[in-house]
Amino acid sequence: MTDPRDRQYTNGEITVFWIPSKCIHATTCFRELIEVFNPGRRPWVNMEEAPTRRIIEVVNKCPTQALVWKYNKDLTEEERKALREVDHRLEENPKTLSGTNAPTSIRIMKDGPIFVEGNFKIIGAENQELKPTIMTSFCRCGSSRNMPYCDGTHRKIDFTDQSTENGE
Amino acid sequence: MELTEKLISQTNPLKMENEKALFQVITGGPLKVTGPFQITGSDGEIIEKEEPVYLCRCGKSSNKPFCNGAHKRIGFSE
Repeated sequence: MTDPRDRQYTNGEITVFWIPSKCIHATTCFRELIEVFNPGRRPWVNMEEAPTRRIIEVVNKCPTQALVWKYNKDLTEEERKALREVDHRLEENPKTLSGTNAPTSIRIMKDGPIFVEGNFKIIGAENQELKPTIMTSFCRCGSSRNMPYCDGTHRKIDFTDQSTENGE
Repeated sequence: MELTEKLISQTNPLKMENEKALFQVITGGPLKVTGPFQITGSDGEIIEKEEPVYLCRCGKSSNKPFCNGAHKRIGFSE
């Protein structure tokens, strides 16, 4: 029953499960907590960046239960095993994406990054091909320290979509 | 048929890549997008625009999410 694309991430206390087949990219997780859930980073879930309580709060808001969580003490033997063998490289492989003929979806997040999902290719500023991926988020505020990807800085600088006529 | 396709891909490798959307990060400038894609604005509405599109990366465009050249004025760099 387990899908090879499914992923799990732990901070030692809880484990967060990501089930891509259920993910409709409602973007709730990264709008709420980009420090932990950042599609522009690999692995895209970083459990060390927020307290357990906050992670649980955000995971509980996932509308499709593509993200769910469990206390580590409640993990089944199978889940423990999967945690030891997790291979994040698979997360980057576009071949794991079903329905590759669909046009790539580009979503402009309000006061946030450009969220991209689908079958696409990225050429970097030095004309080099960047790592293939099935989803990512590009910086739109101009201040990320992980260009061209979003690193959550837009929140710190209060980036807004409002037009700035004078470019200031 | 197969041979023809092979020949096309050999003479023009880009031809086969065209089925994928392509994101090109322009140094000190916008993000150029070509290929099959669909853009949804921050209000949830689909934006009809012909490729290529240039998406603002510097944060200062007055025509967001598109580039208006503001990056040059502010001296945007990576």
